[in-house]
Amino acid sequence: MSNILKPLYFAVSWVIITIHNLLSPIFGANSGVSWSLSIVGLVIIIRVLLIPLFVKQIKSQRALTALQPHMKEIQKKYKDDRQKQSEEMMKLYKEHKTNPLASCFPILAQAPIFFSLFTVLNGIGKNPPVRHGVLTQADVVSAAQAKFFGAPISDTFLGTNVTTVKIVTVLLIAFMSATTFTTQRQLMLKGMPKMDSSNNMMLQQQKIMLYLFPLIFAISGVNFPIGVLIYWSTTNLWTWGQQFYVIKRNPTPGSPAYEELQRKRAHKEGTIENPESGSTETIENPDVKGQRKQPKKKKKK
Amino acid sequence: MKKFIVAVIHFYQKWISSSFAPRCKYYPSCSSYAATAIENYGFKGVAMSAWRLMRCNPWSHGGVDYVVIKEKVGTIS
Repeated sequence: MSNILKPLYFAVSWVIITIHNLLSPIFGANSGVSWSLSIVGLVIIIRVLLIPLFVKQIKSQRALTALQPHMKEIQKKYKDDRQKQSEEMMKLYKEHKTNPLASCFPILAQAPIFFSLFTVLNGIGKNPPVRHGVLTQADVVSAAQAKFFGAPISDTFLGTNVTTVKIVTVLLIAFMSATTFTTQRQLMLKGMPKMDSSNNMMLQQQKIMLYLFPLIFAISGVNFPIGVLIYWSTTNLWTWGQQFYVIKRNPTPGSPAYEELQRKRAHKEGTIENPESGSTETIENPDVKGQRKQPKKKKKK
Repeated sequence: MKKFIVAVIHFYQKWISSSFAPRCKYYPSCSSYAATAIENYGFKGVAMSAWRLMRCNPWSHGGVDYVVIKEKVGTIS
């Protein structure tokens, strides 16, 4: 296993040390800020690399506008059979060579990087520090002293008696739970085409997220070095920001956020004589849009 | 062992994935595919599930894809 991941140890440690060397003149070579920001930088690079995939997914979500009549038909036809409904939906996507769903890839792709970072940081935390990838012994010794809000970035909750480490771990776990919760809640309330899932189910899901997720994060988080938790928190924050942007600016057709945006645009066009060009895609006549919207809204409620 | 893995998958479906927005490009989803495959094929099912998970990527169009179940399943522990 460690042989397969070896190239990744090199990649991860190289990115970290490069960013660290860039930041050292500003914050100091042994400073926790330089080392923590190096991990944040690693997240940013990976997430930027994943953006094209995200854009691709958004594009295929937009392509759904054309499929809406078909989708409505399926929903009506298999009203009582949700399984059949999703089966037919998938068939439709495949036929039209578009699929709005993200797949597990964006998460799975990050897993090896996550574990490489875990190994690299764990090595730093050993006494004496063990180096991985391109890190030199001097780098490792320096990183072993680096602190994030007073907690050494290579320390774990379970591997220390230092109260600061425990407090920082708990705070990071709380932060990760909060970002996951807000992201998923926002997506389900606003970002997805309305399904006929009941309010009860939604509440149930939110309960799971409120109680189970912090627990899962806590169980895994106490075993991870602070640095890994920094990675995890940052990537969560990125996911939240990315989704917030898309829901506000480019929501999925048929979702509540989309309807809201349409309403806003319709309102704008209604009050201002010259509508901003480029803000709407296919609709030429604002009046038609207004008429089309009303029955849609009523039906859903 | 087989039962244990399937139980883990069911736990994941009930408690973890149900609280996220759906993301699988296939029907049935990768997790139910995995549960069926492992129930029917044992260890080979694990490989089938891994392959399915790899096919469910940003460049695929997804679709309907059931586990092909043979009439006679050999003696698999």
